[in-house]
Amino acid sequence: MSNDSSAEPAAGSSGSNENVTKIEPIRMPTIEEMRAQEVWNNCAVKSVASGVMGGGLGLMMGLFMGALDNPIMHDTMTGRQQFVYTAKQMGQRSWGSCKTFAVMGLVYSAAECIVEKARAKHDIINTAVAGCVTGGAMSARGGPKAACMGCVGFATFSVLIEKFFDRHT
Amino acid sequence: MATPNPFPAGISKEQAFSMAQTEMEYRVELFNKLAQTCFSKCVDKRYKEAELNMGDNSCIDRCVSKYWQVNGMVGQLLSAGKPPM
Repeated sequence: MSNDSSAEPAAGSSGSNENVTKIEPIRMPTIEEMRAQEVWNNCAVKSVASGVMGGGLGLMMGLFMGALDNPIMHDTMTGRQQFVYTAKQMGQRSWGSCKTFAVMGLVYSAAECIVEKARAKHDIINTAVAGCVTGGAMSARGGPKAACMGCVGFATFSVLIEKFFDRHT
Repeated sequence: MATPNPFPAGISKEQAFSMAQTEMEYRVELFNKLAQTCFSKCVDKRYKEAELNMGDNSCIDRCVSKYWQVNGMVGQLLSAGKPPM
């Protein structure tokens, strides 16, 4: 008769009904939940967050690469000087890498967000355009030809990465 | 009658109640149709994740806005065309 709220399994039935999944009734989101979701709907917030994450990634990568790259010079400096020198090199390298990756993440996320909002569609074209803009912006210093190559290269890279992550769904 | 009558003149309580019921049914129907139309237009049927994308969100915003505007316009036209009919 009243099967509308199937939140509880039928009482008095046998023990095999104990592992019935509880179906919860539909709950409309509260205004706080909606506001919290609306924060991430903003292009600026999203791109800044992506920039910060890219910066973190760049820091890690720069530290790693900086540590690998430095030659160990036993004869010219003492151990402590070597340590200081290596640490400085690592710091410089990681800061440069951090800036690069932060800019890359910021530009990519902002471009993708804007394009997707304008098109009102969730497609692979958004990632391609965003990748092109990012690659072009980062290689713009080398002239128009370098910008074109950067655009195509980064667009291809981001499309491949997106398809790789989408394979499970 | 000490209490003021909340209804306009000539409408009994039962009539007001039935009018409210009709209005409620109309609103519910409008909302259901709106949700169905905009969902079928905007959301890709191959569900990949549980949340709405940015593109879905802006599509739904535009769809609802257009639907509401057209609904208002059609309602006005229909109500304005009543006397000659």
